[in-house]
Amino acid sequence: MTRENDKVLSIQNLTMNYGGKQVLNGINLEVASGEIIGYIGPNGAGKSTTVKIMLGLIDDYQGKVMIFGQDIASGDPSYKKKIGYVPENAEAYDNLTAIEYLVFTGELYGMDRDAAQEKAERLLAQFELQEVGHSRLSSFSKGMKQKVLITASLLHDPDLLFWDEPLSGLDANSMMVIQEILAQLAAQGKTIFYSSHIMDLVEKISNRIVLLVKGEVVADSTFEELKEMSEEGSLSGIFNQLTGFTEHRNKAKDFVSIVQGDEEYA
Amino acid sequence: MREFQSLKFLSLFKGIFTRMGVDYAVMEKILRIKLTMDERRVPTIFAENGKKKKEGNQFLKSLWIYGLYSLILIPFLLLGENYIYQVSIVFGMILFILMTSMISDFSVVLLDVRDKNIIQTKPVDKKTIAAAKIVHIMIYMTFVAGAFTTIPFLVGLFRHGIVFSIIFFIELVLTILLVVVLTSLLYLFILRFFDGEKLKDIINYVQILLSVGVVVGYQVLIRSFEVVDLDMAYTFSWWHFLIPPLWYGAPFEVLLNGNSSNYFIAFTVLAVLIPLVAIYAYAKLMPSFERNLEKLLSDTKTRKKSINWLDEAGAKWLCRSKEERVFYRFAASMMKKEREFKLKVFPVLGMALFFPFLFIFTYSVDGGLEEISDGNMFMFIYFCNVIIPSVVFMLKFSAGYKGSWLFRAAPIERISAIHSGTLKAFFVKLYIPIFVFLSLVFIWIFSARILPDLAAVLLGGLLQTLITYKIANGSDLPFSISFEFAQESGGAKMMVLTLITGAFVGAHFLANAFHYGIYVYIAVLLVAMGIGWRMVFAETGAVPVQDTI
Repeated sequence: MTRENDKVLSIQNLTMNYGGKQVLNGINLEVASGEIIGYIGPNGAGKSTTVKIMLGLIDDYQGKVMIFGQDIASGDPSYKKKIGYVPENAEAYDNLTAIEYLVFTGELYGMDRDAAQEKAERLLAQFELQEVGHSRLSSFSKGMKQKVLITASLLHDPDLLFWDEPLSGLDANSMMVIQEILAQLAAQGKTIFYSSHIMDLVEKISNRIVLLVKGEVVADSTFEELKEMSEEGSLSGIFNQLTGFTEHRNKAKDFVSIVQGDEEYA
Repeated sequence: MREFQSLKFLSLFKGIFTRMGVDYAVMEKILRIKLTMDERRVPTIFAENGKKKKEGNQFLKSLWIYGLYSLILIPFLLLGENYIYQVSIVFGMILFILMTSMISDFSVVLLDVRDKNIIQTKPVDKKTIAAAKIVHIMIYMTFVAGAFTTIPFLVGLFRHGIVFSIIFFIELVLTILLVVVLTSLLYLFILRFFDGEKLKDIINYVQILLSVGVVVGYQVLIRSFEVVDLDMAYTFSWWHFLIPPLWYGAPFEVLLNGNSSNYFIAFTVLAVLIPLVAIYAYAKLMPSFERNLEKLLSDTKTRKKSINWLDEAGAKWLCRSKEERVFYRFAASMMKKEREFKLKVFPVLGMALFFPFLFIFTYSVDGGLEEISDGNMFMFIYFCNVIIPSVVFMLKFSAGYKGSWLFRAAPIERISAIHSGTLKAFFVKLYIPIFVFLSLVFIWIFSARILPDLAAVLLGGLLQTLITYKIANGSDLPFSISFEFAQESGGAKMMVLTLITGAFVGAHFLANAFHYGIYVYIAVLLVAMGIGWRMVFAETGAVPVQDTI
């Protein structure tokens, strides 16, 4: 699947030790351009850590990470020019207006100020946010803010996207728009690295699924291949099976009985 | 977004930054964004909710107060040419002001983790980010230093001439560097060894200790110099090397008084060398600082459940209704766990502990404790009432202010229970411990004869708490407002509320002028207390919905 010349990202034997705890346990991953990778796993599996390493936020890892053929440990940040990032907690400078924030990120990616401004306005208009472009992000709803952050990650036309829970807070219609944007971007040869807990969505969007459990890659293939390997029909079923979680029904039952039951707290 | 004068000025030093490997254009962009945000510290939700919109940099608007403070420096500049004392005191105060401002206002900037996710994910190199951070702080520190030293600078220029001013100016630049960089290095050091929540606690306590320490050190410095004896000759001891203000007094001795003692030369060298070494160390260590900053985001340790029996007892015995008990416990644990609250309040509490003794010992150097035990000096215990307004005022702020929707969503029957429970918790958790500690020491010094007076002080404290709460906090729910507002809305009102303590002191002295007057005073306080409590915490209904958060 991966040809040597269009390899966008390559992770070799990545391990990471955090405070005596092994967070990543020898991850190997090769990503070619045009792939949409659903990067999934239970909480604490090491997904965000991997993404942070690739973005240069963490630099005390062991192993080798190459992006666009550049070893990111070299300390030269120029490889980030062609990367777009949506952080997981919708972190932004809330006191800025949407346009200000977009222009600022555009400029950090080396765009010209006026060009960034014009493009930002046009993109916001596509999300029907042109009216609030000059309002502060702190007054935005979660979905609106998420749209701004998605726009910010695309403004400079990057080749590689890291999206961490990008659809949180979006309504069904916006989700469909984003989904379609992703598909079209991938068709243009962009690579998308996508992590989410909404399995139905990952199932629909991704053409390759990487499942991480306790810092190790336990599955790496297309959804169809995954389905053949397992007896479960849906990705969430496969997810449960591969992460060894089968007792959701019992858990729920216990939970509800506690909610209803105890007289002493009633 | 507009152009900033400070950035224009900064561009004069473009060459220096470029030579240090900083991408100046990018740094300027980051700074412009940061300064723009600083002007908008007021979140929009507040501005929209009918309150008048406040634009502009609130911090810069509060600078005049430093100008006022700076008047205290003038006598030391006017006195004479005994520079090692006079200028050391002046620089001691400058260091004090800069250090406290740095710790209380700019630690946030230094420890901001948002920068990591937003800027470091972009193709900007770490050196530039680090430079932007430190320059951002420097800009404000320059404003603070400017406000605090402009008047003294002019006074020095007229009194001691141009050479004096030149040295003064150069030293000022060095002090700013010293303060900013040393604080950063200190955090760096702490960040290395600890992680997660523990780390935040430690930083919190270091901040508290530092701000108390700086005040205490400054008081001790002033007193150890015996302002009256400005003529006396300076005698050198080795430990003077550890007192930075002395380093900054020495160059004046060397250059203006022609005093070339070895130790003065050594001080002068330290004054110049230490800031430069510190900057070098900072530049070298900044990457590991940023790396460790990551620790602030995560916490993996599990903690045990703990029950505080004291809080349980307080809730049980002091609160009348179940609702009030709930808020007592809530407020008690907020006071104990909310770091920003502790940061703002604990230094003040520390001073309440320290100042009574400071004054007693200053005024009793000659006679010793025996001499003062018959006097009125126990009245210094009123210092623990002076702090009441500033602490009570803080009760309405919280870093998690957004969580206060709970007060409205929950079916609370009596809103006054929220207020009274919180206030009781404040009194028991913060005031009483200090009061009891001071009382025990004071009884040891002044004998048990002061017991009625202590009772009057305690009741006065209670009454003052009540008055302050009514005036300063009104119907604002506790822990429901962002700390961003804490700075701007205090001001004059707090000053007046603090002066109320003076009224209590006056009344107390008046009562003591008569036989058994103190008992009458206690009775009056008790009655006032009873009426006041009932008035402030009248049985009002549920939480008013239209109230703006």
